[in-house]
Amino acid sequence: MLSVTIPMQGPGTRLTYRIRVIEPAAVAPRILASGAVSGPLDTDMRLTLRSDSVEVEALFQVTPIGDTVNLGAEFFTRRRVGRSRRGLPVWEDDTYRRVVRLAWNDTARVYPFGSGRRDTAPRKGAWVELILERAFAGGEARPAEEFAVVDTTRDFRLEAVVRPRRAHVVLNLVRGDTVSAPRPIDLIPEEPPRIVRLVLGRRVTTLELSLTRPDPPRSDRERALAIDADVVCLRVVPPDGSEPLGVMCGRLNSVARQLPLPSGDTLAATFAWPGPR
Amino acid sequence: MTGPPLTHPTHDQWLVQIDAELDGELSLVERAALAKHLVTCAHCAGARASQLEVRVALARSAGNPHAFVVPRPVIRPGALALWVAIALGVGLLAGWGAHQRWGGPGSGTPLEETRGTIVVH
Repeated sequence: MLSVTIPMQGPGTRLTYRIRVIEPAAVAPRILASGAVSGPLDTDMRLTLRSDSVEVEALFQVTPIGDTVNLGAEFFTRRRVGRSRRGLPVWEDDTYRRVVRLAWNDTARVYPFGSGRRDTAPRKGAWVELILERAFAGGEARPAEEFAVVDTTRDFRLEAVVRPRRAHVVLNLVRGDTVSAPRPIDLIPEEPPRIVRLVLGRRVTTLELSLTRPDPPRSDRERALAIDADVVCLRVVPPDGSEPLGVMCGRLNSVARQLPLPSGDTLAATFAWPGPR
Repeated sequence: MTGPPLTHPTHDQWLVQIDAELDGELSLVERAALAKHLVTCAHCAGARASQLEVRVALARSAGNPHAFVVPRPVIRPGALALWVAIALGVGLLAGWGAHQRWGGPGSGTPLEETRGTIVVH
Protein backbone atom coordinates (compact mmCIF):
# COMPACT_ATOMS: atom_id res chain seq x y z
CA MET A 1 0.00 0.00 0.00
CA LEU A 2 2.79 2.42 0.92
CA SER A 3 4.60 1.91 -2.35
CA VAL A 4 1.41 2.74 -4.24
CA THR A 5 0.55 5.76 -2.11
CA ILE A 6 3.85 7.60 -2.10
CA PRO A 7 4.19 8.19 -5.87
CA MET A 8 0.62 9.53 -5.99
CA GLN A 9 1.43 12.08 -3.31
CA GLY A 10 4.54 13.30 -5.03
CA PRO A 11 4.88 16.74 -6.59
CA GLY A 12 3.93 15.41 -10.01
CA THR A 13 0.28 14.81 -9.11
CA ARG A 14 -2.34 17.52 -9.31
CA LEU A 15 -5.62 17.37 -7.42
CA THR A 16 -8.83 18.98 -8.69
CA TYR A 17 -12.04 19.55 -6.78
CA ARG A 18 -14.79 20.06 -9.39
CA ILE A 19 -18.05 21.31 -7.95
CA ARG A 20 -21.55 22.31 -9.00
CA VAL A 21 -24.08 23.97 -6.70
CA ILE A 22 -27.52 22.68 -7.63
CA GLU A 23 -30.97 23.70 -6.49
CA PRO A 24 -34.04 21.48 -6.83
CA ALA A 25 -36.69 22.89 -9.17
CA ALA A 26 -40.09 21.83 -10.40
CA VAL A 27 -38.98 20.49 -13.79
CA ALA A 28 -35.27 19.83 -13.53
CA PRO A 29 -32.59 20.75 -10.99
CA ARG A 30 -31.06 24.17 -11.62
CA ILE A 31 -27.30 24.83 -11.55
CA LEU A 32 -26.61 27.90 -9.42
CA ALA A 33 -22.82 27.90 -9.64
CA SER A 34 -19.96 25.78 -10.85
CA GLY A 35 -16.23 25.85 -10.47
CA ALA A 36 -13.03 24.02 -9.66
CA VAL A 37 -10.11 24.25 -7.31
CA SER A 38 -6.85 22.55 -8.20
CA GLY A 39 -3.35 22.35 -6.84
CA PRO A 40 -0.89 20.01 -5.18
CA LEU A 41 -2.29 17.05 -3.30
CA ASP A 42 -2.28 18.93 0.00
CA THR A 43 -4.61 21.60 -1.41
CA ASP A 44 -7.83 22.08 0.55
CA MET A 45 -11.01 23.72 -0.67
CA ARG A 46 -13.08 26.20 1.34
CA LEU A 47 -16.71 26.55 0.26
CA THR A 48 -19.07 29.23 1.57
CA LEU A 49 -22.83 29.29 1.01
CA ARG A 50 -24.70 32.15 2.63
CA SER A 51 -28.33 33.18 2.84
CA ASP A 52 -30.27 35.56 5.10
CA SER A 53 -30.77 32.94 7.78
CA VAL A 54 -28.03 30.33 7.24
CA GLU A 55 -24.29 30.49 6.66
CA VAL A 56 -22.45 27.30 5.81
CA GLU A 57 -18.67 27.27 5.53
CA ALA A 58 -16.85 24.03 4.89
CA LEU A 59 -13.21 23.08 4.45
CA PHE A 60 -12.72 19.98 2.30
CA GLN A 61 -9.54 17.92 2.56
CA VAL A 62 -8.47 14.72 0.82
CA THR A 63 -6.25 11.85 1.85
CA PRO A 64 -5.39 9.53 -1.06
CA ILE A 65 -5.38 5.83 -0.22
CA GLY A 66 -4.38 3.85 -3.29
CA ASP A 67 -7.12 4.06 -5.89
CA THR A 68 -9.54 5.60 -3.43
CA VAL A 69 -9.56 8.81 -1.51
CA ASN A 70 -10.84 9.87 1.88
CA LEU A 71 -12.82 13.08 1.63
CA GLY A 72 -13.08 14.94 4.92
CA ALA A 73 -15.06 18.10 5.50
CA GLU A 74 -15.02 20.42 8.50
CA PHE A 75 -18.33 22.26 8.60
CA PHE A 76 -18.97 25.52 10.40
CA THR A 77 -22.63 26.46 10.31
CA ARG A 78 -24.45 29.51 11.64
CA ARG A 79 -28.23 29.59 11.73
CA ARG A 80 -30.41 32.53 12.70
CA VAL A 81 -32.85 31.22 15.28
CA GLY A 82 -34.68 34.39 16.17
CA ARG A 83 -34.25 37.80 17.66
CA SER A 84 -33.26 38.96 21.08
CA ARG A 85 -35.47 41.17 23.27
CA ARG A 86 -33.60 44.16 21.89
CA GLY A 87 -34.36 43.13 18.31
CA LEU A 88 -30.87 41.87 17.46
CA PRO A 89 -30.48 38.58 15.55
CA VAL A 90 -29.62 35.49 17.60
CA TRP A 91 -27.40 32.91 15.82
CA GLU A 92 -26.71 29.28 16.56
CA ASP A 93 -23.17 28.06 15.77
CA ASP A 94 -22.38 24.45 14.99
CA THR A 95 -19.09 22.75 14.10
CA TYR A 96 -18.83 19.15 12.97
CA ARG A 97 -16.85 16.86 10.69
CA ARG A 98 -17.88 14.44 7.96
CA VAL A 99 -15.70 11.84 6.27
CA VAL A 100 -16.51 9.57 3.33
CA ARG A 101 -14.39 7.30 1.19
CA LEU A 102 -14.83 7.29 -2.57
CA ALA A 103 -13.01 6.38 -5.73
CA TRP A 104 -11.30 9.00 -7.87
CA ASN A 105 -13.73 10.60 -10.37
CA ASP A 106 -16.73 9.44 -8.34
CA THR A 107 -19.39 12.00 -7.52
CA ALA A 108 -20.08 12.92 -3.91
CA ARG A 109 -23.23 14.83 -3.15
CA VAL A 110 -22.94 17.26 -0.25
CA TYR A 111 -26.13 18.48 1.43
CA PRO A 112 -24.84 21.52 3.32
CA PHE A 113 -28.20 22.52 4.78
CA GLY A 114 -29.00 19.09 6.17
CA SER A 115 -30.98 16.21 4.84
CA GLY A 116 -34.41 16.94 6.35
CA ARG A 117 -36.35 14.15 7.99
CA ARG A 118 -34.87 10.94 6.75
CA ASP A 119 -37.16 8.60 4.83
CA THR A 120 -40.19 10.81 5.43
CA ALA A 121 -39.62 13.88 3.30
CA PRO A 122 -37.54 14.70 0.25
CA ARG A 123 -34.23 16.42 0.79
CA LYS A 124 -34.64 20.17 0.73
CA GLY A 125 -32.36 23.06 -0.22
CA ALA A 126 -29.39 23.29 -2.53
CA TRP A 127 -26.79 20.57 -2.72
CA VAL A 128 -23.25 20.47 -4.01
CA GLU A 129 -21.94 17.88 -6.42
CA LEU A 130 -18.25 17.27 -5.90
CA ILE A 131 -15.95 15.25 -8.12
CA LEU A 132 -12.35 14.58 -7.14
CA GLU A 133 -9.89 14.19 -9.99
CA ARG A 134 -6.17 13.64 -10.12
CA ALA A 135 -3.79 14.14 -12.98
CA PHE A 136 -0.07 14.37 -13.57
CA ALA A 137 0.94 17.97 -13.24
CA GLY A 138 4.02 18.19 -15.42
CA GLY A 139 5.73 20.52 -12.95
CA GLU A 140 2.73 22.81 -12.39
CA ALA A 141 2.34 23.09 -8.61
CA ARG A 142 0.59 26.39 -8.05
CA PRO A 143 -3.00 26.28 -6.80
CA ALA A 144 -5.71 27.59 -9.08
CA GLU A 145 -9.39 28.31 -8.67
CA GLU A 146 -12.25 29.12 -11.02
CA PHE A 147 -15.82 29.79 -10.02
CA ALA A 148 -18.80 30.94 -12.03
CA VAL A 149 -21.94 31.99 -10.18
CA VAL A 150 -24.96 31.62 -12.46
CA ASP A 151 -27.46 33.05 -9.99
CA THR A 152 -25.82 36.27 -8.84
CA THR A 153 -28.42 36.85 -6.13
CA ARG A 154 -26.79 34.07 -4.10
CA ASP A 155 -23.71 34.49 -1.99
CA PHE A 156 -21.36 31.60 -2.83
CA ARG A 157 -17.60 31.51 -2.57
CA LEU A 158 -14.95 28.96 -3.45
CA GLU A 159 -11.33 29.24 -2.37
CA ALA A 160 -8.22 27.14 -2.61
CA VAL A 161 -6.52 26.73 0.76
CA VAL A 162 -2.84 25.89 0.62
CA ARG A 163 -0.36 25.86 3.44
CA PRO A 164 2.87 27.31 2.02
CA ARG A 165 5.81 24.94 1.92
CA ARG A 166 8.10 27.94 1.59
CA ALA A 167 7.70 31.68 1.56
CA HIS A 168 9.41 34.44 -0.36
CA VAL A 169 10.53 37.09 2.15
CA VAL A 170 11.89 40.49 1.10
CA LEU A 171 13.80 42.36 3.81
CA ASN A 172 14.67 46.04 4.09
CA LEU A 173 16.29 48.10 6.79
CA VAL A 174 14.75 51.54 7.24
CA ARG A 175 16.25 54.52 9.06
CA GLY A 176 14.47 57.82 8.58
CA ASP A 177 14.29 58.44 4.83
CA THR A 178 16.99 55.92 4.03
CA VAL A 179 16.15 52.39 2.96
CA SER A 180 18.58 49.56 2.35
CA ALA A 181 18.60 47.54 -0.83
CA PRO A 182 15.92 44.82 -0.77
CA ARG A 183 17.24 41.45 0.33
CA PRO A 184 15.06 38.61 -1.01
CA ILE A 185 15.25 35.24 0.65
CA ASP A 186 13.20 32.04 0.38
CA LEU A 187 12.51 30.44 3.76
CA ILE A 188 10.94 27.12 4.67
CA PRO A 189 8.81 26.94 7.83
CA GLU A 190 10.38 25.17 10.79
CA GLU A 191 13.80 25.03 9.11
CA PRO A 192 16.98 25.92 11.08
CA PRO A 193 17.63 29.69 11.31
CA ARG A 194 19.52 31.50 8.56
CA ILE A 195 22.03 34.32 9.00
CA VAL A 196 21.22 37.44 6.96
CA ARG A 197 23.33 40.60 6.63
CA LEU A 198 21.70 43.88 5.72
CA VAL A 199 23.66 47.00 4.84
CA LEU A 200 22.30 50.47 5.46
CA GLY A 201 24.75 53.28 4.83
CA ARG A 202 28.01 51.82 6.08
CA ARG A 203 26.54 49.88 8.94
CA VAL A 204 26.09 46.12 8.57
CA THR A 205 23.29 44.54 10.60
CA THR A 206 23.41 40.79 11.06
CA LEU A 207 20.27 38.94 12.01
CA GLU A 208 19.29 35.31 12.50
CA LEU A 209 15.96 34.60 10.83
CA SER A 210 13.67 31.60 10.92
CA LEU A 211 10.17 31.00 9.61
CA THR A 212 7.56 29.40 11.87
CA ARG A 213 3.85 28.64 11.77
CA PRO A 214 1.54 30.86 13.84
CA ASP A 215 0.04 29.70 17.13
CA PRO A 216 -3.08 27.54 16.79
CA PRO A 217 -6.21 29.66 16.28
CA ARG A 218 -8.35 30.34 19.31
CA SER A 219 -11.80 30.24 17.77
CA ASP A 220 -13.51 27.08 16.53
CA ARG A 221 -14.31 28.74 13.21
CA GLU A 222 -10.72 29.72 12.44
CA ARG A 223 -9.50 26.26 13.41
CA ALA A 224 -12.17 24.40 11.41
CA LEU A 225 -11.81 26.51 8.27
CA ALA A 226 -8.02 26.93 8.40
CA ILE A 227 -8.45 30.69 8.12
CA ASP A 228 -4.76 31.31 8.84
CA ALA A 229 -3.43 28.61 6.50
CA ASP A 230 -1.29 31.11 4.57
CA VAL A 231 0.02 32.95 7.63
CA VAL A 232 3.70 32.63 8.49
CA CYS A 233 5.76 34.16 11.25
CA LEU A 234 9.32 35.49 10.93
CA ARG A 235 11.34 35.12 14.12
CA VAL A 236 14.19 37.62 14.37
CA VAL A 237 17.07 36.88 16.74
CA PRO A 238 20.44 38.65 17.14
CA PRO A 239 23.41 36.57 15.93
CA ASP A 240 24.62 35.90 19.46
CA GLY A 241 21.49 33.86 20.05
CA SER A 242 20.24 35.92 22.98
CA GLU A 243 16.61 37.00 23.48
CA PRO A 244 14.59 37.29 20.23
CA LEU A 245 14.12 40.79 18.89
CA GLY A 246 10.59 40.03 17.84
CA VAL A 247 8.24 37.97 15.71
CA MET A 248 6.39 39.29 12.67
CA CYS A 249 3.36 37.33 11.45
CA GLY A 250 1.44 37.93 8.25
CA ARG A 251 -0.23 36.47 5.21
CA LEU A 252 1.61 35.89 1.96
CA ASN A 253 0.07 39.01 0.47
CA SER A 254 3.07 41.31 -0.17
CA VAL A 255 2.19 43.68 2.65
CA ALA A 256 5.21 44.94 4.61
CA ARG A 257 5.44 44.27 8.36
CA GLN A 258 7.78 46.34 10.48
CA LEU A 259 9.87 45.53 13.52
CA PRO A 260 11.87 48.20 15.40
CA LEU A 261 15.41 47.07 16.20
CA PRO A 262 17.47 48.14 19.26
CA SER A 263 19.92 49.89 16.91
CA GLY A 264 17.24 52.42 15.99
CA ASP A 265 16.64 50.92 12.55
CA THR A 266 13.38 49.32 11.51
CA LEU A 267 13.28 45.94 9.82
CA ALA A 268 10.57 45.71 7.14
CA ALA A 269 9.61 42.25 5.90
CA THR A 270 7.26 41.41 3.07
CA PHE A 271 5.85 37.89 2.71
CA ALA A 272 4.80 36.53 -0.68
CA TRP A 273 4.24 33.23 -2.44
CA PRO A 274 7.48 31.99 -3.96
CA GLY A 275 7.85 31.86 -7.71
CA PRO A 276 7.47 28.56 -9.55
CA ARG A 277 10.49 26.34 -9.57
CA MET B 1 -86.03 59.69 29.25
CA THR B 2 -82.86 60.82 27.53
CA GLY B 3 -81.67 64.27 26.62
CA PRO B 4 -79.91 67.12 28.31
CA PRO B 5 -80.45 67.49 32.07
CA LEU B 6 -82.94 70.15 33.15
CA THR B 7 -81.27 73.40 34.17
CA HIS B 8 -83.80 74.65 36.76
CA PRO B 9 -86.60 72.08 36.94
CA THR B 10 -89.85 72.87 38.65
CA HIS B 11 -91.39 70.63 41.27
CA ASP B 12 -93.70 69.01 38.71
CA GLN B 13 -90.75 68.28 36.49
CA TRP B 14 -88.94 66.57 39.41
CA LEU B 15 -91.99 64.35 39.90
CA VAL B 16 -91.80 63.36 36.24
CA GLN B 17 -88.11 62.63 36.70
CA ILE B 18 -88.88 60.40 39.74
CA ASP B 19 -91.41 58.51 37.69
CA ALA B 20 -88.94 58.02 34.90
CA GLU B 21 -86.23 56.97 37.33
CA LEU B 22 -88.39 54.20 38.76
CA ASP B 23 -89.07 53.08 35.19
CA GLY B 24 -85.31 52.91 34.63
CA GLU B 25 -85.37 55.53 31.88
CA LEU B 26 -82.97 58.11 33.31
CA SER B 27 -79.37 58.49 32.27
CA LEU B 28 -76.59 58.35 34.81
CA VAL B 29 -76.26 62.16 34.84
CA GLU B 30 -80.01 62.63 35.32
CA ARG B 31 -80.08 60.06 38.13
CA ALA B 32 -77.23 61.86 39.85
CA ALA B 33 -79.06 65.19 39.59
CA LEU B 34 -82.22 63.63 40.96
CA ALA B 35 -80.39 62.00 43.88
CA LYS B 36 -78.79 65.33 44.72
CA HIS B 37 -82.20 66.99 44.67
CA LEU B 38 -83.81 64.29 46.83
CA VAL B 39 -81.30 64.94 49.59
CA THR B 40 -82.42 68.54 49.88
CA CYS B 41 -86.12 68.19 49.04
CA ALA B 42 -88.13 66.25 51.60
CA HIS B 43 -91.29 66.70 49.52
CA CYS B 44 -89.82 65.01 46.49
CA ALA B 45 -88.26 62.27 48.65
CA GLY B 46 -91.70 61.58 50.14
CA ALA B 47 -93.25 61.56 46.67
CA ARG B 48 -90.67 59.02 45.55
CA ALA B 49 -91.37 56.79 48.58
CA SER B 50 -95.09 56.98 47.77
CA GLN B 51 -94.46 56.05 44.17
CA LEU B 52 -92.42 53.05 45.32
CA GLU B 53 -95.18 51.91 47.69
CA VAL B 54 -97.73 52.17 44.88
CA ARG B 55 -95.54 50.11 42.59
CA VAL B 56 -94.97 47.45 45.29
CA ALA B 57 -98.71 47.26 45.87
CA LEU B 58 -99.34 46.90 42.16
CA ALA B 59 -96.72 44.17 41.91
CA ARG B 60 -98.27 42.23 44.79
CA SER B 61 -101.69 42.46 43.23
CA ALA B 62 -100.18 41.07 40.02
CA GLY B 63 -98.97 37.97 41.91
CA ASN B 64 -95.44 38.91 42.91
CA PRO B 65 -95.58 38.84 46.72
CA HIS B 66 -91.82 39.39 47.24
CA ALA B 67 -89.59 42.00 45.85
CA PHE B 68 -86.81 40.69 43.67
CA VAL B 69 -83.33 40.87 45.16
CA VAL B 70 -80.45 40.65 42.75
CA PRO B 71 -77.39 39.50 44.68
CA ARG B 72 -74.23 41.54 44.13
CA PRO B 73 -71.17 39.57 43.06
CA VAL B 74 -68.86 39.14 45.97
CA ILE B 75 -65.13 38.44 45.52
CA ARG B 76 -63.66 36.84 48.57
CA PRO B 77 -59.92 37.42 49.17
CA GLY B 78 -59.31 33.71 49.76
CA ALA B 79 -60.91 32.68 46.47
CA LEU B 80 -59.02 35.38 44.58
CA ALA B 81 -55.70 34.21 46.02
CA LEU B 82 -56.57 30.61 45.15
CA TRP B 83 -57.31 31.44 41.50
CA VAL B 84 -54.18 33.55 41.17
CA ALA B 85 -52.13 30.65 42.56
CA ILE B 86 -53.79 28.20 40.15
CA ALA B 87 -53.13 30.50 37.16
CA LEU B 88 -49.48 30.89 38.15
CA GLY B 89 -49.07 27.16 38.60
CA VAL B 90 -50.57 26.40 35.19
CA GLY B 91 -48.36 29.03 33.55
CA LEU B 92 -45.20 27.67 35.17
CA LEU B 93 -46.11 24.12 34.21
CA ALA B 94 -46.80 25.10 30.61
CA GLY B 95 -43.50 27.01 30.43
CA TRP B 96 -41.55 24.07 31.85
CA GLY B 97 -43.25 21.68 29.40
CA ALA B 98 -42.54 23.97 26.42
CA HIS B 99 -38.89 24.31 27.45
CA GLN B 100 -38.57 20.52 27.76
CA ARG B 101 -40.15 20.07 24.34
CA TRP B 102 -38.60 22.86 22.28
CA GLY B 103 -35.75 24.23 24.39
CA GLY B 104 -34.66 27.80 23.63
CA PRO B 105 -35.29 29.80 20.48
CA GLY B 106 -35.01 28.07 17.12
CA SER B 107 -36.69 25.19 15.42
CA GLY B 108 -37.31 21.93 17.22
CA THR B 109 -35.75 19.89 14.43
CA PRO B 110 -33.19 17.38 15.74
CA LEU B 111 -29.64 18.70 15.38
CA GLU B 112 -28.42 15.86 13.16
CA GLU B 113 -31.12 16.60 10.58
CA THR B 114 -29.95 20.18 10.20
CA ARG B 115 -26.31 19.16 9.73
CA GLY B 116 -24.73 18.69 6.35
CA THR B 117 -24.19 15.23 4.94
CA ILE B 118 -22.07 13.75 2.17
CA VAL B 119 -23.46 10.95 0.03
CA VAL B 120 -21.31 9.10 -2.50
CA HIS B 121 -22.95 8.20 -5.82
